[in-house]
Amino acid sequence: MNTCETIRESIGSWLDGELSPSASEAVRLHLAACSDCSVARQQLEKLQLVVKDELVTQAASIDFMPFWRGVQQRINRKRAWHEDLFEWSRGFLTAPRIAWAVPALIVVLLALFSLDSYLPGRGVRDNFASVESIDAHGRSVALLREDQTKTTVIWLYQDQEGENETAEEASKSGPTF
Amino acid sequence: MELSDSELVKKSQAGETSAFQELVSRYHQKVFMVILGLLRNREDALDVAQETFFRAFRKINSFQGGSSFYTWIYRIAVNMSIDAQRRQKRNPLDFRESMDDVMEAQNQVAKDPFADVHDKELREKLTVAINDLTPDHKAVIVLRTIEGLSYKDIGEILGCSEGTVMSRLHYARKKLQDKLRAFL
Amino acid sequence: MKLLKKLPSLVLLFSALLFLAEGPGGTAEKNPQSVQVTIRTILAGNKVDEFDAKLKGMEQQLKSLKYRSYRSLKDDSKVVPWQGTQSFDIPGGRTLTVTPQEFQDNRIAVKVRLTEGEKPVVDTTVKIPNKGNFILGGPPHEGGVLVLSISAAAQ
Repeated sequence: MNTCETIRESIGSWLDGELSPSASEAVRLHLAACSDCSVARQQLEKLQLVVKDELVTQAASIDFMPFWRGVQQRINRKRAWHEDLFEWSRGFLTAPRIAWAVPALIVVLLALFSLDSYLPGRGVRDNFASVESIDAHGRSVALLREDQTKTTVIWLYQDQEGENETAEEASKSGPTF
Repeated sequence: MELSDSELVKKSQAGETSAFQELVSRYHQKVFMVILGLLRNREDALDVAQETFFRAFRKINSFQGGSSFYTWIYRIAVNMSIDAQRRQKRNPLDFRESMDDVMEAQNQVAKDPFADVHDKELREKLTVAINDLTPDHKAVIVLRTIEGLSYKDIGEILGCSEGTVMSRLHYARKKLQDKLRAFL
Repeated sequence: MKLLKKLPSLVLLFSALLFLAEGPGGTAEKNPQSVQVTIRTILAGNKVDEFDAKLKGMEQQLKSLKYRSYRSLKDDSKVVPWQGTQSFDIPGGRTLTVTPQEFQDNRIAVKVRLTEGEKPVVDTTVKIPNKGNFILGGPPHEGGVLVLSISAAAQ
């Protein structure tokens, strides 16, 4: 890229006063010596003038009081609840927030589902096993459900005549709930 | 003694509508200019400008003073203009007619009829050229040209870096110059 | 820079894939390939007051059996294919045979047989909640009784 191209890329920033002192000086010196770049500068200045002129002319015709009345009307107007909700959502639910909120929600739901079995008490909520069939081959067997721990217990008594035991012996030979 | 913007904001936050009115008085033309530069239609720009100050009034308590009041109000104005642009479905020809009507209504008659024709054509071309820019490029051109805002302030308003402001300005000016070379 | 802008979409895609794979009704649970069967053999008695620290996770379940002492004898865990059979050695010359049969409504149906030598002690079919357990107890051993915790987890 030659010097003129470099300078022309910087004319805008130079006019805006945004160049460093040394860069600004380099542009100023070049413009003083180069007629082509000087024309480019004039064109840019005219462009800015045209754009500004047009808008300043428009704005100068805006009377304040009618404008303020328009603002007041908006302030005093009763807004429906859904307008406020819509306005809030437009401001709060921006695309970047939604883009992050949706995967964050998925991750949170995933974590909750995974934690289900690890939280104290929660894991045992559905721990009741159902006994579909049982054959104790002549022995006495008890099917028990312990509510506190939600545990199904299959208890095999030691002899085939377990039902004839006294209550005292049963408490020593088997669980009591 | 004239109150500063931050003093007026504090009073507005305390419920003094007259203080907010003073802020509107100070900035309504500048805000209108920015919005007109972006929307290129006077009626729409007026509507959006009033809506901008209404939005600022409702959100005044959320203004913490981290930035200046004018960068804050310009930020609202630019965002609302971009929203309005998305809803806009007019074509460039309509713009030209609207501006012509307005200019005639304001009795803006040039002394030199040839100059008048030249200026009218230039404005038409300018409108088309600016409309061809993306909203981001339009915004930097308008904020810099009208207000002479620094790249830092423009970056704060648009939520981008100074480097981005610089490159967007350079691109936008180059595009406009290419399209309006015959008139410059 | 472009990758940064795409980042929320990538995170969304990753999360969605993760959710489908591991969430409720995720692939692993809809079509489990096998079952991890874990047998914990515990000796319960009334001679002393003792609770083996290794059984801390089962404290509530075991204490409901109202014995004074609980001691862990062995833990055994094996992966068993559906309809496949796996045997576990149980103290006292006993064998526990487990056959996972089907997986439905997040419950695993297992067929369980306890034998002493060649003699069957009990045959039962139990539907256990996935990752849950049930207790099979009562066979005498060394002055106390054996308590078997049988658990199953779909893989």
